[in-house]
Amino acid sequence: MADVVLRGDLHSTRPVPSSSGKEVTPTSISIGRCTVISAGSVIKPPCRMSRGQTHYYPIKIGDNVFVGPQCTISAISISSHVYIGANVTIQQFVIIKENVKVLPNTVIPANMVIASGSVVGGQPARVVGEVGEGWGVSGGGAGGGLGVGGGSEEKWVEGGDLRELVRSIK
Amino acid sequence: MAQPFPYTYYACDCYDNNKPQTVAEAAAEEERDLDPRHPRSNYSLYPLEHLLYCEDCQQIRCSRCVTEETLNWYCPSCLFEVPSSVVKSDGNRCTRNCFNCPVCTSPMTTNSLDTSGDNAAPYTLACPYCKWSTVEIDIEFEKMNGISGQLAKIANGGRQIPTQKERDKERERRKELEARFRDRSALSPSEDSPTMDTWREDHAPSRDDLFSNLSAFYKTQIETTTASNPFSHSDINFSSPSAYSRIMNMYQSTNKRNKRDKPSPVREAASTLEGLSIHDPSTDVAAIERIKTEGWATTLSPSQRHAQTNPNIRFDTELRPLATLLCTKRSKRCRSCRHILSKPESKITSTRYKIKVLALEHIPRLSIRALPSYFTNPTQPPTPAAPHTPYNALKSGIPTHFLLHLSNPLFDPIRVTLATPSTTPGKVQSRITILCPKFEVGANTDVWDDALASSLSPIKHASQDLNQIEAGKIWDRGRNWTSVIVEVIPGFLDNVPGSGLGPGLGEKFALDEKKKKAKQEGEDTDDELDEDEDVLEIPIFVRIEFEADVNAEERSLGDSRGNKNEREKREEAFWTVVGVGRIAAV
Ligand SMILES: [Zn+2]
Ligand SMILES: [Zn+2]
Ligand SMILES: [Zn+2]
Ligand SMILES: [Zn+2]
Repeated sequence: MADVVLRGDLHSTRPVPSSSGKEVTPTSISIGRCTVISAGSVIKPPCRMSRGQTHYYPIKIGDNVFVGPQCTISAISISSHVYIGANVTIQQFVIIKENVKVLPNTVIPANMVIASGSVVGGQPARVVGEVGEGWGVSGGGAGGGLGVGGGSEEKWVEGGDLRELVRSIK
Repeated sequence: MAQPFPYTYYACDCYDNNKPQTVAEAAAEEERDLDPRHPRSNYSLYPLEHLLYCEDCQQIRCSRCVTEETLNWYCPSCLFEVPSSVVKSDGNRCTRNCFNCPVCTSPMTTNSLDTSGDNAAPYTLACPYCKWSTVEIDIEFEKMNGISGQLAKIANGGRQIPTQKERDKERERRKELEARFRDRSALSPSEDSPTMDTWREDHAPSRDDLFSNLSAFYKTQIETTTASNPFSHSDINFSSPSAYSRIMNMYQSTNKRNKRDKPSPVREAASTLEGLSIHDPSTDVAAIERIKTEGWATTLSPSQRHAQTNPNIRFDTELRPLATLLCTKRSKRCRSCRHILSKPESKITSTRYKIKVLALEHIPRLSIRALPSYFTNPTQPPTPAAPHTPYNALKSGIPTHFLLHLSNPLFDPIRVTLATPSTTPGKVQSRITILCPKFEVGANTDVWDDALASSLSPIKHASQDLNQIEAGKIWDRGRNWTSVIVEVIPGFLDNVPGSGLGPGLGEKFALDEKKKKAKQEGEDTDDELDEDEDVLEIPIFVRIEFEADVNAEERSLGDSRGNKNEREKREEAFWTVVGVGRIAAV
């Protein structure tokens, strides 16, 4: 999507031992399959000050993750089947487990761990509910798609399954 | 849960089913349309992924018609399992290092106050969100771990909190003192009680002090009055809630027995040492004084107070960090037949299920989307850059087409009948027409079948003469899905009942009252729309019929083998509510 900023340049400054002896740039952002990052979102690896130096840590995003528009994400890890609504701010070193729904306009404070199956919302975020058992299950019946529209079709996720959406973009 | 448009909710009719009904009522029930605005609908409409399905009852099961059983407890922050014995003795909070900010609820982090950069003692708990920290209540920790243990020993201001043993000892000491004092005052009754005040503490006993006093008092009371009671629990664990409920039961039963043989009745606590706390008006005056000098900013909001273990505190200097509340993993059973519908794996980190019977695997999924304008207006080329369909601004009075997509999760083809009221219930009445209410949806076969068949299948090619908005014809179909057109004429927001159309079917009575009042006061009733009254929601009744294999269980009951291929006719019906969008104000 347009206007997405992935700050891959902010990689870990720790020296990585490599067999070839050359300077190897470590991966700073890894993103899984079928993951959508919407327009206007920024993904910036989290950093920590230590002895006057800024160290960046790699960010890991799993499969089937939907990141809504205008989000700022500095989490350390986001697991699979996570839905992040629009205008969400995820502060540094947040860990989001599987099957989590983050409601729009949420601010997740730094270092927060969000257990799997939760719905979080608010500023600061707190657990406001649980996702249903059917979250992230394609149900076998989703096949076919609507067959209308192209990449500009309204982004729409139902039940945490993103395969349809991803298919419609590609 | 607020969902963006468009959405579909499924109604679970468990309430209506459990209600005792006469035949006439049941018939009326059949006739009645589901009103998504009815107050009760709030509790019966669910997104599909929240619903389970009972294969034995052949019915949708929502959170109201399942029973839950707790499998285990865990802390959502450190993700450690807490054994149920610990939950029983220590309560439902994390006993590790997980704390939430008492001001803003965000999880707190342990920081070092050491400036040398070595992360040495002392440590504090700090909130990364609102920057509140235990420094503000003068609490510092010596170690990074075992914060809750350390916190339990330090009161706000750094004072030590006595342990249970110290409390008991202190109580005994004071009781003795009190007894001695009483003897002395009996000898010289004229003497006032200055000594009394000298040993009295300079600050009031804390809530925990009172609680331990009261529990000790009741313990002795029960011991004296129920000496003959075979269930006397002299060594009961008094800090467990279950023991307390037993005590309360015994309390009641001894009272009953008192009527018969009158032993000394159980007495209530009569002094501070027995756990009695008498309200002191001077504390109120002091509190008012404090608000006068320090302002409202130092007082707590109701939610902050209620989150505290002692909800009676008033000022921010009394706040304590909140140990994180535990979460549970639960299995769910059908309320009527007790079959397990979902059971997660007990390992905390696992997100898998041992058993999970989902509604979305048993009933068709309905989804609605706006029909892109280039289908209705062929002159306009299908540009990929076409603007988003404005779900949030539907135009009143203009027929708008939506595509209702029905996909079948079953491995048998289904016949679908859709029904909808011609106008939406509620004040803003929109006209709805499903152009093709009866159609078939193919079976859900393997995805690969579809991939192989699609190149040969005539269905895809035949779709040329589909894709037209015409009554009685489906829009498009695929392997296990069919889509039909729904024509919606959004109602007028200012077209409220009383000014033309009759009152809506599910008109809320209270609203009518309000309206009447408004009418008496002035003519301006147009702005009287309730919150979300402009949301266009279409109730759709879905009935599916299909032939399925007689399910395994029933087959095993009969003399199987012979009639292996027996098929039975099945029928299922349910209400859904499709949220189409919001009608724009004209
Ligand atoms: Zn139900
Ligand atoms: Zn914990
Ligand atoms: Zn805070
Ligand atoms: Zn059942």
